[in-house]
Amino acid sequence: MTAMLSIRNLSATVDGKQILKGLTLEVGAGQVHAIMGPNGSGKSTLAHVLAGRPGYEITSGTVTYQGQDLLALAPEERARAGVFLGFQYPVEIPGVNNVYLLKAALNAVRKQHGLAEVDAFEFLTLVRDKMKLMRIEDSFLSRGVNEGFSGGEKKRNEILQMLVLEPKLAILDETDSGLDIDALKVVAAGVNSLRSPERACVLVTHYQRLLEYVVPDFVHVLIDGRIAKSGDRTLALELEKRGYDWVSGEAA
Amino acid sequence: MSTPLTARIIEEYASAARALPSAGAAADRRRAAIKALTAQGLPTSRDENWKYASLRALERLRFAPASSSATATTARVQPADLPAAVRGCARYVFVDGVFAPALSPRTDSGAAIVTQIAAVSAAQPPLATAASADQHSGDERFLALNEAFATDGAAIRVAAATGGAGAVPIELLFVASADGQAGASYPRVELHLDAGASLTLIERHLSVGSDNSFVNSAVTVELARGATLHHYRLQELGARAILFDTLTAALAQDASCHLHGISTGAQAARSTIRVRLAGEGAKLAMAIAGLGDRQQVNDTFALVEHLAPRTRTTQTFRGIAAGRARVAFNGKIVVAKNAAGTDSQQSLRGLLAGAEAEIDVRPQLEIYTDEVRCSHGATVGKLDDDMLFYLLARGLDRDTAQRLLKWAFLADVVAKITLPALRRDIEARLPGALQDVTLRELL
Repeated sequence: MTAMLSIRNLSATVDGKQILKGLTLEVGAGQVHAIMGPNGSGKSTLAHVLAGRPGYEITSGTVTYQGQDLLALAPEERARAGVFLGFQYPVEIPGVNNVYLLKAALNAVRKQHGLAEVDAFEFLTLVRDKMKLMRIEDSFLSRGVNEGFSGGEKKRNEILQMLVLEPKLAILDETDSGLDIDALKVVAAGVNSLRSPERACVLVTHYQRLLEYVVPDFVHVLIDGRIAKSGDRTLALELEKRGYDWVSGEAA
Repeated sequence: MSTPLTARIIEEYASAARALPSAGAAADRRRAAIKALTAQGLPTSRDENWKYASLRALERLRFAPASSSATATTARVQPADLPAAVRGCARYVFVDGVFAPALSPRTDSGAAIVTQIAAVSAAQPPLATAASADQHSGDERFLALNEAFATDGAAIRVAAATGGAGAVPIELLFVASADGQAGASYPRVELHLDAGASLTLIERHLSVGSDNSFVNSAVTVELARGATLHHYRLQELGARAILFDTLTAALAQDASCHLHGISTGAQAARSTIRVRLAGEGAKLAMAIAGLGDRQQVNDTFALVEHLAPRTRTTQTFRGIAAGRARVAFNGKIVVAKNAAGTDSQQSLRGLLAGAEAEIDVRPQLEIYTDEVRCSHGATVGKLDDDMLFYLLARGLDRDTAQRLLKWAFLADVVAKITLPALRRDIEARLPGALQDVTLRELL
């Protein structure tokens, strides 16, 4: 079986500073991978590079997604091809309506697949359904994107967008940070509801707490720009107990 | 001040005035205005408040009115040329400044009395004579030009509502149809609200036929004690049109004026606004959007004078300049000696959407008393990269994402439009005009 996402020897710099240093990772359909690591190890850089954020320079390596060169695609093309980035710090966009953005985003994906625009009524039914799952209030619909949202609301909104768009590959950048335990459970339920044999998920996280609710198939430790250790979910528990120094020490 | 331009205006005035009645208040007003204009001349780019306006365009234009009779105008403009009337409004259409009854459906404007200025009897003095008011910093010279040449317009008087039967919203549609080299258009509005009266007024300028008209409009507003006005000004003139407009307003005690302007059209548009908060507790809320693309010039000068205690102003400007456009907003607020307790807030923001575009936003404060709260913010920036990437990462194409962000930038102005039918109409016209109407109505 060929992997859905294949990252080979990926190196990237930001403002001339080397962040990713020959990272290799394979993610197969149906799998959930957790990427853990200390601050500054390159976790968010990896997520941003995969989503196509400007400001990163790829100095070597390849990224293949569903057989195509992901790095050659513009950010919007990646999104329409089914790659979803859940932002660590979702930006507030006052004046752009939440529901409008959701609909425009969904229609962009549908257009890619040769489908007609979604019917307004069906769309609202779908969104309301997903909002219930994410415990988001109705008033949310008419508000500006993330405008005045609390940290937890912003993260739940990211997952709501993911549920509406049904991406093939979800990359969630520290979606668990800043969440209380109830919100964490809601977010985890959202992520789990999308698990299926044809989808994959990369969870970038700092703590193993989220992994109690979204159980990963693989856990990788990212240290200094490359994967230092991989294992199953028990690796996360061990990390929790022994800290990242244990892996750095071992890798050195 | 005798310049070749002034000399030509006087000459054109002399021949145009021959066709008009020489007696009566209107004739007196015309003579007084041309006298003032002869003495002062028109502004030049050396004048501090006029450096962004396209004054040189005037040299190519003819000042005599393009037409003075309704029959001539209705031949040029057909009802089908006009946009649909805003729902629930009484509409009055003027072509090149002259009332066009054939284009104006019979309407009942409720408590408002709308009179055609040309029809005002010679014995009856005009409602407002702004040219005779003191000429603060000489910025009302284009008003004098209007008074010298205008032959028609709308005089509106609104009495206080009795028993809930208030005034129906009024839409004044000013259509420019003449070629700027053939003659000018002088739209004119004289509005008076009696004590406690209220009115919603839409003043809309657009082009039909020629897109290169020369329009010089004048609006004078008097709000008596406790009167409330919602005034929407929409400027959608043709791509080569030249516009100079002057709005002067005076507010008595506790009067309240909500002034909304959305200016998207014309090759060069200059708007001069002067609001006098003359009575204690008078309130002004001004929200203006100016948009320029290609080589458009969109320039606004707004002077707000706090002349009485506890007067309040909120001023919001949002400007977007794309292409090689130049957008300017100069907001001057003066707080007079006896205007203690004044509260004024200015928020002026510009968005640069083109490498060769230019935006100037300038707040100015002159305060002659203590005990005031005056805040101002002025920024010019580009589209936010983080916002743009967020939208792209959700699959929106770059063009759509940029339009949406421009839309969002204008939201502070658009959100203040409280007339739903008008708001929908405006939302459909703005650059980010992709907000889903069907969807919004379902919500």
